[in-house]
Amino acid sequence: MVEFKTISYEAVTIGEQFMSDDFLIKPEDVETFAFAVDDHHPWYFEGSPFGGTIAHPVLLGNQALLMRHSRYIVPAGLHAKMQFEFVEPLRVGMRVRSHGKVIDKYERRGRHYMVTQFETREEGTGKVLTRGQFTQMIFPESGVHRETTHR
Amino acid sequence: MKPHTAKSLHIGDALPPLTKSIVQRQIDCYSGVRPHSIHTDPEWARKKGFKVPIAQALMSTAYVSQMMVQFCGEGFVRGGRISVAFIKPVLVGDTLTAHGRIKSRDQEGGKTRVTVEVWCENQDGVKTMVGTASGLEADLQT
Repeated sequence: MVEFKTISYEAVTIGEQFMSDDFLIKPEDVETFAFAVDDHHPWYFEGSPFGGTIAHPVLLGNQALLMRHSRYIVPAGLHAKMQFEFVEPLRVGMRVRSHGKVIDKYERRGRHYMVTQFETREEGTGKVLTRGQFTQMIFPESGVHRETTHR
Repeated sequence: MKPHTAKSLHIGDALPPLTKSIVQRQIDCYSGVRPHSIHTDPEWARKKGFKVPIAQALMSTAYVSQMMVQFCGEGFVRGGRISVAFIKPVLVGDTLTAHGRIKSRDQEGGKTRVTVEVWCENQDGVKTMVGTASGLEADLQT
């Protein structure tokens, strides 16, 4: 049983580990993603040099980013930095899961950040598909960052 | 499908830019509609200080990925990298253009990694994301 608490800088600990739910990559996920980012490359729908269709390399980014939601209530957050390494093509029919670990947290100019390293693997084979790390801002209790939001 | 162009471009050359007009329905599909989301709930976005919902920053990495797949082909899908910082929010209704300029070519395990300086700009010319992306040239022959 998971006991969810509202995320805060104090609550997050370096070394804390996260795990996503498993996720089956379905044809409709590829189609929805293609619509969302307006990218209908034929490799995603007709066939690719890898043999058969593949999925957009960034398709599983949200699985990794949302891992902290499996433990915390996150009223709002901003994504500050992202690093991806695409190891193997993603394919429809793969069942995948992301694992992550908080490797740093810091305060800069009055804002709080957490840094998470992640790896997304195919369930069953254990094959690494994507890895990387991301930095997310933890919003203050008030929930508003005026300098960030006004441009 | 566009032909691979990596080997015909040189350091300092620009990649063909990609322009995206971002509508709420696309953000909804990308982020999933839910209440209390700065991406899909206009009222919640206002409470958090945004005049309208904002696109997930990760969407910009998808535009960079599209540009790099067009540029590097297989060598981006297997062996590609992205490293970016999101410096300004992207609002629903914005028109974003992803740009790339070839920064370097370096040997890596018998292949050549081509690194591209990448950035996104909104319709006002304001940079919203900056960083690099790279792919392996030796995997380009198809």
